[in-house]
Amino acid sequence: MSYSTALPTHHQTHNPLTDAYHGKSAETRHLKPNELSTGTTIMAIAFSSGVVLCADSRVSTGTYIANRASDKISQLHDHIWCCRSGSAADTQALTDYVRHYLGQLAVETGRVPEVKVAAHLMRRLCYENKDNLMAGVIVGGWDPVEGGSVYNIPLGGACMSMPFAIGGSGSTYIYGLVDSEFKEGMTKEEAVALCKKAVSHAMSRDGSSGGIIRTCVVTGDGCEREYVSGNRLPYGPAGW
Amino acid sequence: MSLSLQAGGSATRALSSTAPSATTSHTTSPITTGTSVLAIKYRSGVLLAADTLVSYGSMAKYKNARRLLPINSSTLIGGSGEYSDLQSVTELLKRNALEDRCTADSLYNEESNEECAKEVWSYLRAVMYNRRSKMNPLWNDLVVAGFKKNEDGTISDEPFLGLVDKIGTAYEDDILATGFGSYIALPLMREKYRPDMEEGEARALLEDCLRILFYRDCRALNRVQIAKVTRDGKCLVSEPYELDTYWDFKGFVNSKAGLGTDGGW
Amino acid sequence: MASSGSGYDLSSSTFSPDGRIFQIEYASKAVENAGTALGLRCRDGIVLCVEKPLVHKMLVSETTGRRIHTVDSHSGVAITGFVSDGRQIVGRARDEAANYLETYGTTIPPEVLTSRISSYVHYFTLHGALRPFGASTLVAAYDPGTKEHSLHMVEPSGVSYEYYGCSAGRGRQSARTEMEKLAINPKQGEGELIDVQEAVKQLAKIIYTLYDESKDKPFELEMSWLCEGSGWRHEGVPKDVIASAVEWAKKEIEEAEEEDDDEMEE
Repeated sequence: MSYSTALPTHHQTHNPLTDAYHGKSAETRHLKPNELSTGTTIMAIAFSSGVVLCADSRVSTGTYIANRASDKISQLHDHIWCCRSGSAADTQALTDYVRHYLGQLAVETGRVPEVKVAAHLMRRLCYENKDNLMAGVIVGGWDPVEGGSVYNIPLGGACMSMPFAIGGSGSTYIYGLVDSEFKEGMTKEEAVALCKKAVSHAMSRDGSSGGIIRTCVVTGDGCEREYVSGNRLPYGPAGW
Repeated sequence: MSLSLQAGGSATRALSSTAPSATTSHTTSPITTGTSVLAIKYRSGVLLAADTLVSYGSMAKYKNARRLLPINSSTLIGGSGEYSDLQSVTELLKRNALEDRCTADSLYNEESNEECAKEVWSYLRAVMYNRRSKMNPLWNDLVVAGFKKNEDGTISDEPFLGLVDKIGTAYEDDILATGFGSYIALPLMREKYRPDMEEGEARALLEDCLRILFYRDCRALNRVQIAKVTRDGKCLVSEPYELDTYWDFKGFVNSKAGLGTDGGW
Repeated sequence: MASSGSGYDLSSSTFSPDGRIFQIEYASKAVENAGTALGLRCRDGIVLCVEKPLVHKMLVSETTGRRIHTVDSHSGVAITGFVSDGRQIVGRARDEAANYLETYGTTIPPEVLTSRISSYVHYFTLHGALRPFGASTLVAAYDPGTKEHSLHMVEPSGVSYEYYGCSAGRGRQSARTEMEKLAINPKQGEGELIDVQEAVKQLAKIIYTLYDESKDKPFELEMSWLCEGSGWRHEGVPKDVIASAVEWAKKEIEEAEEEDDDEMEE
């Protein structure tokens, strides 16, 4: 995650040339001074009975790693989670709001909220406040109606339902890998393995992604959190 | 900023008059975009065509996005431009259609006073113009297709095809195209168009245009949808399917860029 | 006046010494004098039916004073009592449904819709400055999430329950007795529950059974359904279906009367 709002007042400080010297990429140059961002790799795959969410753990300000073991997978409800990318502050606020709304809804309806409702709420917030937000979110989870499902909400606040989603600055490096390795109807084990493999590849090529891999597997039975140490990644440093 | 569902920016309050905030800069360029929409009248209705790609800058990010959408029982819209805005506009129109259905004079569909395509188009013009006047446009070019109404409110035999752009310009025509299609497909469609075209002919023409757009538009895809509104007031949208493409011209196979030739691309 | 409420009936914000709120009871009375409204939950959907009294011979009845309204694509309500009060409830129900859809992106579940209508109706029984609604609301709704359909009724007190069959208005008591004979309750009934086609006929029969041509005003029959056949959309029952149901009902009633006469002669 690593973006921020381009407010007019910031235009005076924004100079692509000098920014480049401050280690800001195209995606991070609109961040306010010292704003925490998570130049990120995030990913989610839906499988037959649930969904797996996956993320790296690097949070940076410019080129400094502010947190090397952060958790970018947040819980929105019992069986609904999301991967955050963009400004850490914005996405934390967003997830707080969605968590609040979903909690209220669950109490009012007395039933498990649907993943698409979570995605809709996230989308509304991202869309209505698009001028002030830098947030790219993947919402994933399980509900009794659809089973496992994944929704991607990119920068402008569109909402796309998809079999899998990848996001964050690191994702651009692994589109080819994931496109060729993903197949419909994967098992839980296959999905988890692909997530870890793909995210570790992204981490090795994207300077803004790194650290450890965190995963969250959500099914009707509950959620399992897991993490892979930075020195035990499926794909490590290579000399080419 | 209040980060709530009630904050500004949506099409919901498109017609309310709040002044743009002095500190926020609104959408001046789209983020997730769909490319051309093509439309043509034919013997028994209107046909629409579009591909299913939504791009993220130059990245072909979403390859299964629907941009041809029925918004009531007999009106279709096709949208290019910012996809989040298209979703928002669609939601707005569907909400209006539902309200119309609920507040109709009758419980019976055939007696309901559903908005016809021309009314939807006029309404959209107002919405788009209002938003651009607040310096916060909905970044879409929208094609509206359906049938006109008779004086007595019943649906007529006369097909309707109209376009509204992101600044609220609106016009009708027998053939329409947005985006890259207005440069590449429109001349081709003008050349081949006849008012009495059969559905098959019209459809083949649209497919040819989509194929050429795929060849020449970097933001186009050969995975497409075709949709139609017919005289009996039905909207049908096809499932996405792939268009065949051809790459075996002699000149392609034997390229002219080798040593000993006069060069080429 | 003094005997009926002894001063405790002037406001719904005051209980009587024996724990009653007379204003709510009077509101219920307003419903009891109005046209009969019936709702039936069937195997494959729900049917709503209202007897709309034609108060005037010169009334353009087909398009005015409707009692059944669509609230959302998958829900409809029938109202009886003060129609103007009922319309207020309908308006609120629509707002709640539209608001839920806009906020959450899914159709409002039937129980939530009913409970929100209930809260609204109940609110009007709490304040001294407000008058309770003199209308009962039958809510027929389908839940795309659970794929189940249900029938609720909200009374002027703001109380609501779910029903297999419910009735309000003038003929509610006898109608209830008649409806109990139908196969609609899966807990009691043996064999298959009735479907909406059959329900339309039975409801028409109930309305015509209760109707006394010599005493009662002429009426118009309004019917809607929400069923598998309508794609779970709330729609008016086709007019020819109503017409043939009425024809069948009248014939049934006539035959039953003839049998009674025969028995008497014997």
